[in-house]
Amino acid sequence: MANSHDVVPGVVFSTVDKVAKWAQSSSLWPFAFGLACCAIEMMSTVAGRFDIARFGAEVFRASPRQADLMIVAGRVSMKMGPVIKRLYDQMPDPKWVIAMGACSSCGGVFNNYAIIQGVDKVIPVDVYVPGCPPNPDALLYAVTRLQEKIRSGEARPGHRILEPVQTGISIESGRSS
Amino acid sequence: MEFEQTRRIFEKARERFGEAVSLSERPNGEGSVVVDPARIREFTAWVRDELEDRFDFFGEVCATDFLGRSPRFDLTYTVYSTTANRHLHYKTRADDPDPAVDSVADIYPGAAWHEREIFDMFGVRFNGHPDLRRILMPDHWRGHPLRKDYPLGGEEVQFSSNFADITPQALPPAPGEEIFLGWDVLETQPASYTRLLESGAELEQDGEGRMVINMGPQHPSTHGVLRLLLELDGENVVRAVPDIGFLHTGIEKTGESLNYQQALTLTDRMDYLSPMGNNLAFSLAVEKLVGLEPPERATVLRVIFAELTRIQSHLVWLGTHALDLGAMSAFFYCFRERDQILDMFEMVSGVRMMTSYICPGGLREDVTDDFVPALERFLKVFPDRLGEYETLLTRNPIWLERTQGVGRISAEDAVAYGVSGASLRGSGVRWDVRKAEPYCGYETYDFEVPVGTNGDVYDRYLCRIEEMRQSHRIIRQALSRLKPGPVQAEERKVVPPPKSEIGQSMESLIHHFLITTIGFIAPPGEGHVPTETGRGLLSFYIVGDGSPKPYRMRARTPSFANLQALPKMLEGCLVADAVATIGSIDIVLGEIDR
Repeated sequence: MANSHDVVPGVVFSTVDKVAKWAQSSSLWPFAFGLACCAIEMMSTVAGRFDIARFGAEVFRASPRQADLMIVAGRVSMKMGPVIKRLYDQMPDPKWVIAMGACSSCGGVFNNYAIIQGVDKVIPVDVYVPGCPPNPDALLYAVTRLQEKIRSGEARPGHRILEPVQTGISIESGRSS
Repeated sequence: MEFEQTRRIFEKARERFGEAVSLSERPNGEGSVVVDPARIREFTAWVRDELEDRFDFFGEVCATDFLGRSPRFDLTYTVYSTTANRHLHYKTRADDPDPAVDSVADIYPGAAWHEREIFDMFGVRFNGHPDLRRILMPDHWRGHPLRKDYPLGGEEVQFSSNFADITPQALPPAPGEEIFLGWDVLETQPASYTRLLESGAELEQDGEGRMVINMGPQHPSTHGVLRLLLELDGENVVRAVPDIGFLHTGIEKTGESLNYQQALTLTDRMDYLSPMGNNLAFSLAVEKLVGLEPPERATVLRVIFAELTRIQSHLVWLGTHALDLGAMSAFFYCFRERDQILDMFEMVSGVRMMTSYICPGGLREDVTDDFVPALERFLKVFPDRLGEYETLLTRNPIWLERTQGVGRISAEDAVAYGVSGASLRGSGVRWDVRKAEPYCGYETYDFEVPVGTNGDVYDRYLCRIEEMRQSHRIIRQALSRLKPGPVQAEERKVVPPPKSEIGQSMESLIHHFLITTIGFIAPPGEGHVPTETGRGLLSFYIVGDGSPKPYRMRARTPSFANLQALPKMLEGCLVADAVATIGSIDIVLGEIDR
């Protein structure tokens, strides 16, 4: 039986968990799905100059069933909220979410009747990117940040159940324009 | 249009309609004809067919809610003449309870969606409308958001001091009074979602063998969150029904709760591919309202930035349109040049996209010293780069196969639906607002307006490519005219004074303080200036009420009208052609849904 001190060159000992996390973080497949302005900056991130392929996340998939990273790029309206929820549910586990830009993080400048004040009311978010819209560099930083979180186990993959949030405004208590 | 011209039309209308018409001095400098609601259909038909100017192009109809006044709602119609190069405003009124006006959708087909929008946002009914239902808000929505008695909504901002007090749950809906019913109601929405799909099942029962498929709101080729219901007979599209509103942002309502400088920042986010074009249209309308003339240097720079914006907008269109049809390289090439333009935007304004650089009174700041050399570098390489795109596509057999004879629309239909921009010119109508009703001194620049002949996807492609070349030409001319000088008007009640002046003059300090704290006051009146952005006719209609906030801020956006004509273009096409056609009308959902 080989002594544990006799390390064979080229062989690394690790845990299955670590290897899985390394694999998951190194090849994120984003969901090709844009909402508003941020989607254009997301396209810039894919194009030659910023080149998201350097970080192993260039395989944009048009179907939620083939993707494991949802980049919510833009404002989420009341009409779009249920659609996003459904798309997220259609993504297979493990899956992660980046909220790109001020609108999808918190509603941004649109604090009104039409926009959901942060996509985290609908689906769980792992990384928030500030900016309106964020530069492509900021999105790249978010991707690397997410990779770190996946590797360290901070970002728990999979489906998390959110408490249903009751939002509602009434004519009396709502802010008037 | 001049007030005198409106007066002349009014006099003719007087002979014809008698006391049913009157003359209004609004919008500022243009005036409008006020028509009795009972005769609005007759008047509309008269304007279209019998006047010698023939106002054949339907611009928009928009509503304003004057809460507390009777009659409560003002409806302003704007129609254009593509031959006489002018436009006309006319108005009618509707009153509570149950405001209703006759629909003009059978006279101008382009009015149908605008009327639906008013029905959705103001609750004004249109008698005889072919398909009167909500367009932007979800079907289950209660209330009409743009009415003045409807709250702006949103949430109070949570700071550390009040974090526990203000949560979404702290605003419980009173029974029966709630407007947004919460997530449990939205969850059930997919049921109503499939209503049109159910009607597809009925068609199959009739033995016609048709099928309804759902395209979007998540689809890589719908350019955003457009949903299309396609009724198919095999591979052929029998009918297409667009469903919009998935990006409805409440920009008009929010703009009415902010002062003019703040509302400017919302316009960037409307058509996010041409932020400077939106800034310009908004600024021109506000300047018309307050009666302000920007200095020469600002106007020349505005032209440069408007044209650069047009080029970068067309580049995104070309890249994504080609990508949809399977040509990957064009995307990388186009984004390379686009980044060069965005670098210049960043140079002058600090951000790549949402610049808010063009503002009422001129420009936010003068351009930096390195701007002109950067622009010259870009102008030097761009014609060659344009040649590269053309080498990839213009004579490419696959490209020709996918685009020629696809998504056709005739000149008459395009005009009747209010299609504008390259989508209109592809059908052979030589109508460009920069030529027809020049602003920013476009009449002094030497450029051509390219037109197509067939009105298909390929002709629209050729028009936009040529437009980029013409924009390049305009920028060259503008650059040669660029002289040193101020970039902001000297009107201290509107434009904040420069820092150097504040330290020396008490009066400047007061003006600066007032403008930054409450904003500038715009007089009661209306401002409206049509402009041409990369997508077509964009105009803001601003109603001032003597306060620092716009009473009504309305945007007539080109994509909204262009998309309305999509079902017409798709008639008889194949499913795969739908992708090509959507790409060719170059829609931006941000400005459709606003």
